[in-house]
Amino acid sequence: MPQRLRASPGKETVENFLPSHLIERLAQIGEADIVVGIPSYNNARTIGHVVRACSAGLAKYFPHRRSVLINSDGGSKDGTPEVVLRTELEAESLLLVAPQRLHPIQRISTAYHGVPGKGSAFRTIFAVARQLNAKACIVVDADLRSIAPHWMDLLASPILDREFDFIAPYYLRHKYDGTITNGIIYPMTRALFGKRVRQPIGGDFGFSGRLAARYLEKNVWETDVARFGIDIWMTLTAIAEGFRIGQSYLGAKLHDAKDPGADLTSMFRQVVGSMFGLLETYEEIWKNVHSSEPVPMFGLPFDVGVEPIHVNVERMIKAYCQGVRDLQEIYAQVLEQETREGLLACSRLSPTEFRMPDELWVHVVYEFAAAYHRRKLDRQHLMESLVPLYLGRTASFVLEVQEADAAQVEERIEQLCAVFEAEKPYLRKHWGVEAGKESSHANPA
Amino acid sequence: MQTLLEKAFVEPFQRLAEQLAAVVPALVSLVVILLVGGALAYATRRLVQRLLQMVRFDQFVAESGLAGTIERARLFRSPSDFGARLAQGAVWVFVILFALMAMPSEMTQSLVVRFVNYIPDLLAAALVLLLGTIISKFLARSTLLAAVNAQWPAARLIAGTVRVLVMLLAVVMALEQLRIGQSALLLTFAILFGGIVLAAAIAFGYGARDLAREWLQTKLRSREQETEETFHHL
Repeated sequence: MPQRLRASPGKETVENFLPSHLIERLAQIGEADIVVGIPSYNNARTIGHVVRACSAGLAKYFPHRRSVLINSDGGSKDGTPEVVLRTELEAESLLLVAPQRLHPIQRISTAYHGVPGKGSAFRTIFAVARQLNAKACIVVDADLRSIAPHWMDLLASPILDREFDFIAPYYLRHKYDGTITNGIIYPMTRALFGKRVRQPIGGDFGFSGRLAARYLEKNVWETDVARFGIDIWMTLTAIAEGFRIGQSYLGAKLHDAKDPGADLTSMFRQVVGSMFGLLETYEEIWKNVHSSEPVPMFGLPFDVGVEPIHVNVERMIKAYCQGVRDLQEIYAQVLEQETREGLLACSRLSPTEFRMPDELWVHVVYEFAAAYHRRKLDRQHLMESLVPLYLGRTASFVLEVQEADAAQVEERIEQLCAVFEAEKPYLRKHWGVEAGKESSHANPA
Repeated sequence: MQTLLEKAFVEPFQRLAEQLAAVVPALVSLVVILLVGGALAYATRRLVQRLLQMVRFDQFVAESGLAGTIERARLFRSPSDFGARLAQGAVWVFVILFALMAMPSEMTQSLVVRFVNYIPDLLAAALVLLLGTIISKFLARSTLLAAVNAQWPAARLIAGTVRVLVMLLAVVMALEQLRIGQSALLLTFAILFGGIVLAAAIAFGYGARDLAREWLQTKLRSREQETEETFHHL
């Protein structure tokens, strides 16, 4: 039963969305140095491994720190919370040492309150971190197969020992993987906010207790941030509000195999829509950023093998062509004539020759971002109408890099980022058409 | 002789004077009402336009997708101009009714009473049509986007059908509100609606069975292909 209680002296009121049994448990624990949060929904198959890796990491790298592992669950039907609570650490066989902890790792599994989604699960984790006065907080996905104990060290140590506030992950991924990241989110984060955070929506982050408290102050929990928009929101909030940012090399990122084609539209809308929304919130920040810089990197980069990936390019091109043909009226409200002609020209290319030039793609993204800001169309419709164009761009990228190795692909993404940075005045121009009138109405998060 | 003169000239003049005395004040008040009413209507238009601009009505209409309809009509500069002129028109209607009430004629007064009694129905019908237009456009666009993102080949046809059906429903509801051919309209609508659904089902299942088969096969195939894909977008 959610309730509002008074916390211990020196702390603010306990969040009113935390269930009473959790508040009691937190009161028993008192304080913690590290909080590890695992959001979940029907992840019984994989979460045991994640819990073991986190517990092993905390035992090995932070034996003298008080640690709490919290699973924030969305009402799983497959016994995910039970798996979290009964998973054995087997420290001796895992770490080859006998555990010498002053404080046992506390393990909690709780159902979160609010809009169903990853963001709401994170909100509960932030609240727990604040309630326990945690110095560092780590969040990791429940479906990770490649998580290892040293991830705890890489995500928490820069915060505990070097006063960083936000540590983003840096993974090696298959060249076709993470196409929203590579095609939109990373280049825009870099071009607009000036920080080269390679995986801004990686999902596995480390952050300071004070940043967790700052996140909780925001009123975004009824928006797409409460769903898949949480990752980009956390990253951009940390960057835009001047928190100290770093990234840690975590090796490969392997997920549980789910149907990746399922509900791409809503996932895309939540992530990219949240990013466009943040451009309004932090308009005065990004308008004054003129270049980008690398962020400090922790961990030793090493080569890893990645799993082979199957991509159906033909289906993507077909989706793109249908979008260009059937959504003409919508695009006429959003895109410039020249951009529409460019898209039309691409749709006439044969599947083998299909390419979408970087500049055209950047103009599409910037014009959509400006249209989102100027509310040219219902925002949900606007984001959904971008999906076919994104699939076209993804198909073009896959065709372009099919013979390339990892380094060449990274170089290719760098080229795209350079175009995003060079074309930033184009966004300013489109954004600013009514900026004088509208900037005062920017939606504060 | 004097009696004849009075009957021939004085009495008609007197009658005319009496009639004029009865009508002229009404005419004068009619002119005054129209002049004041015209000024009031103009002021209302300016005020409403200012208010609509303040509450960002143009932006709201643009989001709902109705701005295109207003722009295509080429009669109004913007949605707020349309709203302001609508308010001006409404004020004019009341001014004219008020002016007619000032006329000392039973016919005009009865006409005004009947019209006034009909106003709530007219407003309700207009509201139903307006909502119908907004909802049909919104639903059609939602359907179009969902169909395109699901890669349905006849996305535009499906969206167009949704729009026509919703508008048809709104028109029937509006006419029913105006008490125009109530039962006949309802019957016509039921037959038409049922007919469209039946025709679509027959056309899809029988007339275009090859297309239906091909479409279903494509759908199933694309589902299989989707699940074959193993990359993550995020």
